[in-house]
Amino acid sequence: MRMMISRKLFFLFSILTVLPGIVPTALGQEYGGGPIVFIKPVRAVIFEHRYHLGKNFDCQSCHPDLFEKKAGAVEEKDDFTMESFNQGRYCGKCHNGTIAFSVNTKCNWCHIGVQGHKHLEEYELGLK
Amino acid sequence: MKSGNSRAVSLEERRRFLLLGLKITGVFVGGSVLSLVPAPEVRSELLGASVVGTYPYQPHYAMLIYKDRCIDCERCIEACRQTNNVPSYGSRNTILTRKKSGIAASKMIREFLPVLCNQCNRPPCVRVCPTKATYKDKKNGIVMMNESLCIGCKACMTACPYNARYYNRELQAVDKCDFCYRKRLQNGDTNTACAEACPAGALFFGDLSKHENEIYTLLHKPEQTILVLRPESGSMPNVFYLQG
Repeated sequence: MRMMISRKLFFLFSILTVLPGIVPTALGQEYGGGPIVFIKPVRAVIFEHRYHLGKNFDCQSCHPDLFEKKAGAVEEKDDFTMESFNQGRYCGKCHNGTIAFSVNTKCNWCHIGVQGHKHLEEYELGLK
Repeated sequence: MKSGNSRAVSLEERRRFLLLGLKITGVFVGGSVLSLVPAPEVRSELLGASVVGTYPYQPHYAMLIYKDRCIDCERCIEACRQTNNVPSYGSRNTILTRKKSGIAASKMIREFLPVLCNQCNRPPCVRVCPTKATYKDKKNGIVMMNESLCIGCKACMTACPYNARYYNRELQAVDKCDFCYRKRLQNGDTNTACAEACPAGALFFGDLSKHENEIYTLLHKPEQTILVLRPESGSMPNVFYLQG
C-alpha cells in the first residue's frame, strides 16, 4: 500500500514540475524555432521574439496584420525594405521613434551583417 | 682625466671638451643634412600646417566613409570582385568587425568598419617597393600598380598599415584598390563600384580638388570630427571616416 501511494506521489510530482517547462510561456519563448534571420534584400537581419514579447505586446500586435505567422515568409515580399519601414509598414509600424526606436537609428541592433550571420550559424545554432 | 676626485672635472677639462664638441658640429653645419627621408618630405615636415588641407592633385580623389552606416551586407566587396576580377582568396577591401560591449539588448550587436587602400599621400608601400612597381600617380594621386614590374616580394603588403594589398596568383603580382581607375574612372565613370553598390550610403567617393563638389562640402562641414585609420603611421591617407 505504501509503495503504491509513493509511486502516485512521485508521478504527480514529476508532472507538476515538468509541465511548466513544456507549456510555452509568453516571456522568453522563441517562436519560429530560434532567432529569425533574413537574408533578402540584404544579409543579414536578425529578429528575436523574446525581445518583443512581454507586458505591452502579444501575438495579435503583429500577427496576422503586419506579418504572417510563418518564420521568414516576409522576406519574399518585394517591399520589405527600409523605405517601407519609413512609411510605417512592417517593422516601421512601431519602430518609428515613438513606440520604439526609429529604424533610422541603432542599425546594428538588427543588421548583424554577413559576419554576424556566419557567427550565429557556427556558434549559436551549431549548424556548421 | 687626471684629477684626484673622480666626480669633479676641472675647468680646463670642460673647456677642452666643449671646444671638441664645437669642432665636430662645425663639420655637419658646413655639409648637408644627412637624412633617410627624401628632401621634399623633410621640407614639408618642417612647414607642417601647409600640407594638411591642401589637395594638390587634379583631380584629387578621396573617399568618405560613414562608419556608423555600414551594415556589413558586403555588397561593396562583391561589386569590387566583379568589377576588378578579384579572386576569391583575396580582396581589395574588407569589413572589419567587432562586438559592441556594454549594450543590454543582444549579444549579436556588432560594429563594422570598411577598409580599403587609403591612397596615402606618403605611402609606405611606395617607399619600400624595390622595383618601383607601385607608384603614386602624379596627376590624380592614386597609388597605382604596374604588375609587370612586381616581383612578388610582398614588402608592400608588410608595409601597408591597413593590410589593403593581397597577392594575386593569376597576375603573379600584388593587387590593390585603385579607386576603380582602370575599370571605371579611365572610361569616364565618376564613381567607384563599391560606393555605387552600398545600399546604406556609407561610402562616398569624389574629387576634392573642386570646392563645389559634394564631397568637398561633406568633408569640410564645420565642427565635424574627421577620423583616419592609424594616423601614427604618418601615411596621410585620403580615406576619411566620418560619424553620422
